[in-house]
Amino acid sequence: MSIFHISLLIALTGLSVCLVMASIRFAIGPSLPDRITAFDLFVANMIGIIAIYTELTGNEDFIDVAIILSLFGFLSSISFAYFLMKRTHKND
Amino acid sequence: MKTFSIHIVIAIALSYLFFDYSSLLPYNAATALLVFLVFILLLWLSAVFYHPSYFRKLPKAMAFLFFFLKEMFVANIKIAYEIITPRYRMQPTVVALPLSARTDVEITLLAAMITLTPGTLSLDVSDDKKILWVHVLYLEEGGAEEIVQKLKWGFERRLLELTT
Amino acid sequence: MTSEPDYLLLREIVSSCFILLGTLFMLIATIGLLRFPDFYIRMSAITKGATLGVGLILLGMAIYFNQADMLLKVIVIITFTFITAPVAAHVIARTAMYNNVPFWKETRLEAFREYLKKYLGKNSEEEVKD
Repeated sequence: MSIFHISLLIALTGLSVCLVMASIRFAIGPSLPDRITAFDLFVANMIGIIAIYTELTGNEDFIDVAIILSLFGFLSSISFAYFLMKRTHKND
Repeated sequence: MKTFSIHIVIAIALSYLFFDYSSLLPYNAATALLVFLVFILLLWLSAVFYHPSYFRKLPKAMAFLFFFLKEMFVANIKIAYEIITPRYRMQPTVVALPLSARTDVEITLLAAMITLTPGTLSLDVSDDKKILWVHVLYLEEGGAEEIVQKLKWGFERRLLELTT
Repeated sequence: MTSEPDYLLLREIVSSCFILLGTLFMLIATIGLLRFPDFYIRMSAITKGATLGVGLILLGMAIYFNQADMLLKVIVIITFTFITAPVAAHVIARTAMYNNVPFWKETRLEAFREYLKKYLGKNSEEEVKD
C-alpha cells in the first residue's frame, strides 16, 4: 500500500461524501430545478469516481463508460428542463 | 473556425500515421502531444498563403483561451472562499448587459462563457436580441455599471475581435 | 534505464496532486450546493466548480496512464463537458426563471422586475425566502 494508493482512496472517499450530500439536496430540494442541479452533480461525481477507479485498477475499458455517461447526463438534464418548460406553458 | 477544425483533424491523422511508420520515439502521451503541436504549427504557418485572417486570429484565440482559464480558476477560488467561511459577503444582483454581438453564434458563445465563469450566470436573452440578463454574485464599488463594463471589455470585445 | 522508476514515481505524485485538487473542488462545490440560500446562487456557484473538478481529475488520470489514445479520450470528455455544462446551466436557469422559482431576499432586482412582469403576467410576485 503505497502513498499513491492511499491518496486515491482518500479521493474516492471524498467523492462518495459528495454523492451523499448531493442526494440530501436531491431529497430536500424545494423546487424541481434544484433536483435537476443535484442530478447534474451526481453525473459529474460518477465520472470522477469512474476515472479514479480506472486509475486504481489499471483497467482501461472503463473510460469509455465515462464518455457515454457525460453524453447522457447532458441529454437528461436538457430533456428534464424541456419537459418543465412545456408543462409551464400549458398551464397558462 | 472551419479551417481550424480541418487542421485539427489533419494533424491528428498525421500524428497517428507518424507513429505507425516510425518506432523511433517511445509511444507515450508527451511525445504524441509534441508531434501534434508541431503539425498544428506547420499547418498554421502554411495558412499565411491561402487564409491570412486565420493566420492573424489564432494567436489571439490562444491568448483569449488562457485569459479565460485564468479568470475561471481565480473566480473558482473566490467562490470556494465564500463557501467555506461562515458569513455571506455576497450581494447578488441581476444586471442588464447590452449586446453588441449580433449573430446567434456570437451570442451563444458569449452566454456560455459568462455562465462558465463562476459568479456570473446568464439568465435570459430578450426577444429582440439586444439585452442579456446576467445574475452576478459580487458587486464591487462601482456598482452594476462597473460589472457591465468589465464583462463588455473583458469578454465581448475579445470575442468580437475573433469572429468578425 | 535506471531513470525509469523515477519517472513512474514522478507521474504518480503529479497525478495524485491533480486528483486531490479536483476532489477538493468537487467537495467545496457540494458543500455550496447544501449551504447557499437560493437556487440561482447555487446554480452559478456549483456547475463550474464541478466542471473544473472533473477536468482536473481526468487530467490527472491521463498523466498517470501516459498513453496517446487515453489522452485523446480524456480530451474528448473534457471538451464535451466544457461545451455542454454552460448550455445545460443556462437552460435550467431559464426554466427556473419562467417557473417563478424565488430569488434570495437580498437580491437586487430593480431593472429585472419589469422584464419579469412583462413576460410572466399576473403571477409574477416573487415570494422571498431566507
